[in-house]
Amino acid sequence: MNHPSMEAPQGSNRVDWARISRLLGLAGVALFLTAAFTPLPNILIRWLGTPARLESAEAIVVLGAGVEPDGVLGDTSMRRALDGMVLHRKGLAPLLLLSGPGRGEGPAEAEVREELARALGISPEVILTESKAQTTREEAVKSGALLREKGVRRILLVTGSHHMARAQRLFERAGFEVLAAPTDEVSSEASSPEGRLRLMRRTLQELLARFYYRAAGYL
Amino acid sequence: MEQVFSLILVGFTSVGAYVLGTRVLGLPARDIRKAVGKMLECFGISLVFFVVNLSAGVIGILVARATIRGFVSLYMAADVTVLFLSVLQGLTFVWWRDLSAL
Repeated sequence: MNHPSMEAPQGSNRVDWARISRLLGLAGVALFLTAAFTPLPNILIRWLGTPARLESAEAIVVLGAGVEPDGVLGDTSMRRALDGMVLHRKGLAPLLLLSGPGRGEGPAEAEVREELARALGISPEVILTESKAQTTREEAVKSGALLREKGVRRILLVTGSHHMARAQRLFERAGFEVLAAPTDEVSSEASSPEGRLRLMRRTLQELLARFYYRAAGYL
Repeated sequence: MEQVFSLILVGFTSVGAYVLGTRVLGLPARDIRKAVGKMLECFGISLVFFVVNLSAGVIGILVARATIRGFVSLYMAADVTVLFLSVLQGLTFVWWRDLSAL
């Protein structure tokens, strides 16, 4: 049963809210089914991605992705950090900059990553940390200042593939030549409905973030 | 199989619910269309709540960033719980409206 005030009386121009709600609901169900049961999210996440350009640089910059208050790195953070360390071990750059703030009173993500890098045998002399930046834009500004002090102009940037285009542009605007070293944080081949919904969520988040950065004049 | 397992599962239980409803509970089969319409209405209203919650969250966080010293992440507004809570809001709103019309 519909509320009388929400239905359009015949012959009037009143808005039929129940009908509009049903149409919205139908569109929502169609979007959900498309996202969960078709390859659309796989196509979109690949479209957002940036191809790798793994060449020699003066520093490897690993962007933050989150740490728990007890110092446990998130999966994404761990993946990026390990990718950065592997690139360093391959000799692609002499310096390794690890970024990431802390949460609350807990240790900074950059410090936890630094500990991990040391434990994996990377010399403390080649590690730089930046733990104040809270956003990608701030990372470009604050890490940029740190890198310029060391005379670095050409960097290998490590972040999620779908996040790379935005981050790359910010570091380029900060005056660096940026080589993309994208990390596969989620498989673009995900075929389970839940995996595809996760891809769709990341895609929409990144598209909104790009829209916001453009509107704010950061890109 | 993995891709369509949940669809098949829900398809089977839906058929079961239809049989239970029509044969055991004596529900009229013709009303199923109205029920689907009501479900879509609830979902549509839930989506409206979701968009409103998301927009209000983003605006609130941007205001908080400008007025307080601490950092507030925009990702907070995109927490998956916002979607579930929006569905609860949507269901409650539609039922409230319908019950008020009785």
